[in-house]
Amino acid sequence: MAAQGGEAAAGSDAKPAVSTGMEQPSPSPYQPSASDHHLWSSSTGASWNYSVDNSNQNTVYYDPQRDVTVSGSAENVTSSTPHVVQSTMGATNATDSYAPYSNSVQPGYSTAQYPNYYYNYPPTANESSVQQGVDQNSGAAYQPLTSFQNSGSYVAPTSNTYYNAGAHQTAPGYATSNHYYQNNAWTGGSSGDNHTQSYQSYTPPDTNAAQSSSSLPTNSFYYHPQYNQWSYYYDQSAPNSGVPAPAIAVSGASDIKAANISSGYVYPSTQPPPPGTTPWKSDAGTPAAPPPQPPGTPAFQNQQANQAAGPPGYQNQYVNPTLGTPGFQNQYANQAVGVPGYQNQYANQVPTYQSATTYYSQLPLSNQADQQKALSWQGPSLNVSSVNHVSGSSQPTLQGSTTSDAHRLNKIQIPTNPRIAPSLPIAMPKAEERNSEADLSKKPAYVSVAMQKNDVKTAQDGHETVTQGSIPVSLRTYVGRNVSRCKDDAQRSAVQSILKEIITKATADGILHTKNWDIEPLVPLPENVVSTNMTSSSKDFSPFPFSISRRSPGRRVKSRWEPVAEEKVANKVEVTYKESAKSSTFSTSDTTKRAGNSWGLGKFLQSHQASLSQYNQRPSKKQRIGGNASLTENGNASSDSDKDQDLTKHYANAITLANSPEEKKRREHRSKRFERSQGAGSSKPRSSASDKDKASNIYTRRSMSALLNRSNVDGLKFAVEDLDWDTLTVKGTCQEIEKRYLRLTSAPDPGTVRPEDVLQKALHMVETSQKNYLYKCDQLKSIRQDLTVQRIQNELTVKVYETHARLALQAGDLPEFNQCQSQLKRLYAEGIKGCHFEFSAYNLLCVMLHSNNKRDLLSSMASLSKDAKQDGTVKHALAVHSAVSSGNYVLFFKLYKTAPDLNSCLMDLYVERMRFEAIKCISKSYRPTVPVRYAAQVLGFMGIDEACEGAKRADGLEECEEWLKAHGAVLTVDNTNGELQIVTKDSSTSLYMPEPDNAVSHGDVSLAVDDFLARTS
Amino acid sequence: MAPYLSMGEAHRRIADYLSRVADSISSSDGAALASLLAVSSAPPSTPLSDALSAFPDFPRLAADRYPHLSDLLPTLLRAIHSHSLIRFADAYSSFEKAANAFLQEFRNWETPWAMEAMHTVALEIRLLAEKADRELATSGKNPDKLQAAGSFLMKVFGALAVKGPKRIGALYVTCQLFKIYFRLGTVHLCRSVIRSIETARNFDFEDFPVKDKVTYMYYTGRLEVFNENFLVADQKLTYALMHCNPQYEANLRRILKFLVPVKLSIGVLPRITLLERYNLLEYADVVTSLKRGDLRLLRQALERHEDQFLKSGVYLVLEKLELQVYQRLVKKIHIIQRQKEPAKAHQIKLEVVVKALKWLEIDMDVDEVECIMACLIYKNLIKGYFAHKSKVLVLSKQDPFPKLNGKPV
Repeated sequence: MAAQGGEAAAGSDAKPAVSTGMEQPSPSPYQPSASDHHLWSSSTGASWNYSVDNSNQNTVYYDPQRDVTVSGSAENVTSSTPHVVQSTMGATNATDSYAPYSNSVQPGYSTAQYPNYYYNYPPTANESSVQQGVDQNSGAAYQPLTSFQNSGSYVAPTSNTYYNAGAHQTAPGYATSNHYYQNNAWTGGSSGDNHTQSYQSYTPPDTNAAQSSSSLPTNSFYYHPQYNQWSYYYDQSAPNSGVPAPAIAVSGASDIKAANISSGYVYPSTQPPPPGTTPWKSDAGTPAAPPPQPPGTPAFQNQQANQAAGPPGYQNQYVNPTLGTPGFQNQYANQAVGVPGYQNQYANQVPTYQSATTYYSQLPLSNQADQQKALSWQGPSLNVSSVNHVSGSSQPTLQGSTTSDAHRLNKIQIPTNPRIAPSLPIAMPKAEERNSEADLSKKPAYVSVAMQKNDVKTAQDGHETVTQGSIPVSLRTYVGRNVSRCKDDAQRSAVQSILKEIITKATADGILHTKNWDIEPLVPLPENVVSTNMTSSSKDFSPFPFSISRRSPGRRVKSRWEPVAEEKVANKVEVTYKESAKSSTFSTSDTTKRAGNSWGLGKFLQSHQASLSQYNQRPSKKQRIGGNASLTENGNASSDSDKDQDLTKHYANAITLANSPEEKKRREHRSKRFERSQGAGSSKPRSSASDKDKASNIYTRRSMSALLNRSNVDGLKFAVEDLDWDTLTVKGTCQEIEKRYLRLTSAPDPGTVRPEDVLQKALHMVETSQKNYLYKCDQLKSIRQDLTVQRIQNELTVKVYETHARLALQAGDLPEFNQCQSQLKRLYAEGIKGCHFEFSAYNLLCVMLHSNNKRDLLSSMASLSKDAKQDGTVKHALAVHSAVSSGNYVLFFKLYKTAPDLNSCLMDLYVERMRFEAIKCISKSYRPTVPVRYAAQVLGFMGIDEACEGAKRADGLEECEEWLKAHGAVLTVDNTNGELQIVTKDSSTSLYMPEPDNAVSHGDVSLAVDDFLARTS
Repeated sequence: MAPYLSMGEAHRRIADYLSRVADSISSSDGAALASLLAVSSAPPSTPLSDALSAFPDFPRLAADRYPHLSDLLPTLLRAIHSHSLIRFADAYSSFEKAANAFLQEFRNWETPWAMEAMHTVALEIRLLAEKADRELATSGKNPDKLQAAGSFLMKVFGALAVKGPKRIGALYVTCQLFKIYFRLGTVHLCRSVIRSIETARNFDFEDFPVKDKVTYMYYTGRLEVFNENFLVADQKLTYALMHCNPQYEANLRRILKFLVPVKLSIGVLPRITLLERYNLLEYADVVTSLKRGDLRLLRQALERHEDQFLKSGVYLVLEKLELQVYQRLVKKIHIIQRQKEPAKAHQIKLEVVVKALKWLEIDMDVDEVECIMACLIYKNLIKGYFAHKSKVLVLSKQDPFPKLNGKPV
């Protein structure tokens, strides 16, 4: 469980990552859920890279890890450093959780283990205990495979956060000391700034209730991560919460646990796909929770868990976060303890960002230095926040209990601080209680055992960690990371020389141990195409803010596209720019959110979505959450919805690339890197408090800088506009002509997308098919989808839309017709040839008969060209218009009978109204009677020309009679000639519009059950 | 272009401008500030713009000298500079930033002394946006500035739609918004503003300045024309006409352009002299056709001015006048028949009407004409009934052709 906390600590960044990881691992559950389109796309669709790869290959596992590590490695390093510092406090939670995580990461992990895991989690607040047991087992085996560092690093961040919290709350002096420490050690120059910044961030959290607007940005920051975490939280915590917390402190403890859990949860999920799924299921399995639903996005489950457990305290927290800033405060107030989770997230985020930057944009050294500074600044803020969050109560206990985690960490040789543990232990007891109560039924044994272990271990390990290692592990990992990235010897030597320089410089400056190597950007590979844009932009501005905003997106890109060849990086980066630019436009809070959310997106689409879905699914305030989520996420995603398509295509490309030999090679590299880092990880790093401070400061910094960014936004935007989307477009390879339409929930898979020539055949197939409209509609939609995905906009596209529009008209499917019509309008406007006149006539008819919007009609009429007005179909449409406007029903039905093309189909839909209007008019103005025969003739029941055969006229007459009766007309038989007459005076008061007898409750006849069954069978 | 300008002189001019802006703010001189903010009306070369060209570091000068206005002044200068260089899109972007900064300041000022300046900003941002959009459109880019100006003005409206003296200025901004929305064709966006003007308690419509009220009534009247709400449209446009300053003939013409069709549709015909005076002769034939019952003339007039009527949005209104023309025609037939054959004055044979229409070269068969007669009865343009069997229109003895009297058909 502690692991979870650690993960949470990993930060918002980490969270998304985690969440993604979760999703990825559990593709099956996710796929069903359509809600997470983006996430899904990555997970389900071609983007499967991660999940699929993972499941199949060990390397696959690595990929996710790699992603994590890449971003995470920096994080890890940082965390590790912080760990040392933090170790004093209580890294137990973090460590514990991490260890398990590392295990989970490893492919060896069986889902079975996971479920257990999770089970333990939800029921027990004692995440650490349970996890440890499980984790250790798996972990030992797996550690080699997976990157130890990651796990260690992960733990570390958590521990940091914990530590901070503990320190802050318990001893204010401590906190301050930390700050100072950090400042001194870290940034000689910027120390003063750091102080202030960190403080600022700090204060807001403290004054939860009274947070000022100014503090909001920071808060929002926290919130985001929190959100993500919360969801996790809920899932896991829900069971725990099942027992109402009597005291605030208790609740706080539970919160902490939850946070831990969640964080831990997240991590595992990120890395191994299978575990992720299992965990969810297990959650669902928890007593209260309903059975896990396949589609069930994480959020879903969360909801269930929450609802089931229905812990008042938890729900409150939930609500608050959802609310946004105000909610934030509440949360804080409520959950002193809960904070740790938040902090964890933050920590994670920071590292991730850096890593992202390193990965993508290999910034020049000078930039790196700047970034480091920024990071270092941020570090403090993190600490502060964590401190604030963590309640004082936790500390005392924590310190005592600490460190089962630490122990484990030591074994693993992950640099963790024993002190990190404290927070966990505190939580543990309470958690235990809860767990025992709520979840004992399920897995009591686990909980209890785990708990004990932790306690025993705790105190002992605490201080050992700190002293080890003359060369920081983080540095080794860093070097390892750099070197392993090299493709060939030339690169390697170049990188090595650069690294040497860096290290000697660091040694000379005396920051070798204090420097946060995890955060340190990777040395640029000589060959790398890494976007020049990135570098340039970063240079232009204060490296920090930009790096954050960009990176998050960039990161995201990276993660998403991992498999993509490097050449694409440049493009991606640009994309990120756009997004970042956009985001920056928003208020600071937005940016911060973005950072968090986008981050998630960035790492793994899935994670992003997961977080979203989680948001949405929060039981108490779905809608609000939705709103928030949309705000935040939309910041990146939806705001550029138009780009999304292209992005998806790009993804698809990425996917294709993923399986290429090149990509495999790269994966091997990565796995090697992990191995190395493992080796390095054996020695204990020394971290400095400064590292933490950096990380924490980043947040404050970021929020502050968000404002600054705005001014730069414009500049960035331009870069985006110049993107060459062509390179990102999917090229389909599917040769099957027939394809069912399925709304894309993931990046399109080129393997299922048909190229243009096949689409041509498909269109022909549909045109000649004898099947019903629903089938054709389905086929055409899939054709349209393939066209869209491949960005094919030519005469074929027009033809497809025209065909579909006509079919829709014939079937009376106006919504579908309108879709096609609006697309056609756009295509015609681009000068693509088609039946423009015909469709402008349809448009006219549609507007005048069905939307009845005068302004639209005016603009439609005004947009008709002279030529268009000479077109027969258009002329007819205009004539219909004048008939309708003057109420000339005779003319209307005349035109109805002689309608060219499909004008009659559109008029069909208006005939009933027109007839009714006409019969009202007739019954008011005629006296005393009107023959039915005449009515049948002028109301279009039979052909106008007398030449019509008799039988047909009789039919029309009969039909008209029925219609008149159905509408309440009074009929009588004339005495003289026996002809049926309408008695107009009586009819004028008795006419009514009958309910349409073919009406269906959902208002769409075409969705009638029979049709539906016919379609699905 | 501009003669050579020494750095010192340029510096002095810029500093002078800056100090005037700062002074007008510190002394709460709204009118002076307003004149200083008028960017778009400036000629291409002014002493200030020349100075800005000669002294490229002006943003820093502004920011250094007046740090408390560092959001406003540098961007404002940039806007002036870009505008003088005929780079309207850039000018707009800068001006929007300046306007945002100004709005921020404006919110903090408790008294509405700067209302005039705020209005100038609102006007300027619209004018600049229009220029910028033209520029963008010609260079093939997406002209989205006017839309952006609209959203900025919504912010301004939000700042003004409050209790207190500032609310008086809200209607001006509303009118600017109307102008933008009408130009963009997004008139549905007007609704929210109208709602807050007409329903919010903090607004008393009579409190607003007359010129704003006239503009507001003009635009809302036009909206009602679109909705074919002729009575309300008549009311609003008449209000605008009555309160419009009679010196502004162009404005009167604008109002009449919509008021005339509205009045026609409720049966009120203008004098030809009115149409002549305000150059609204496109309606002359329409009016004549109504007087004569000359359907052909109406159709010709509509066809001749179709583009114009479609663009202004009165086409559909005029088209609906057809029924009134039919009414007039039948009335004329009735009058003639009464003279010729008083006994059967109230029975009009359908074939007579058909023949009359034939003379007008309107091609309609008997059924259609019968249908039109039915419609006239149905719409209360004729009192009476139609006997299908004998194909005779039987008119009421009393007031067979009721006047519309201000009621739409």
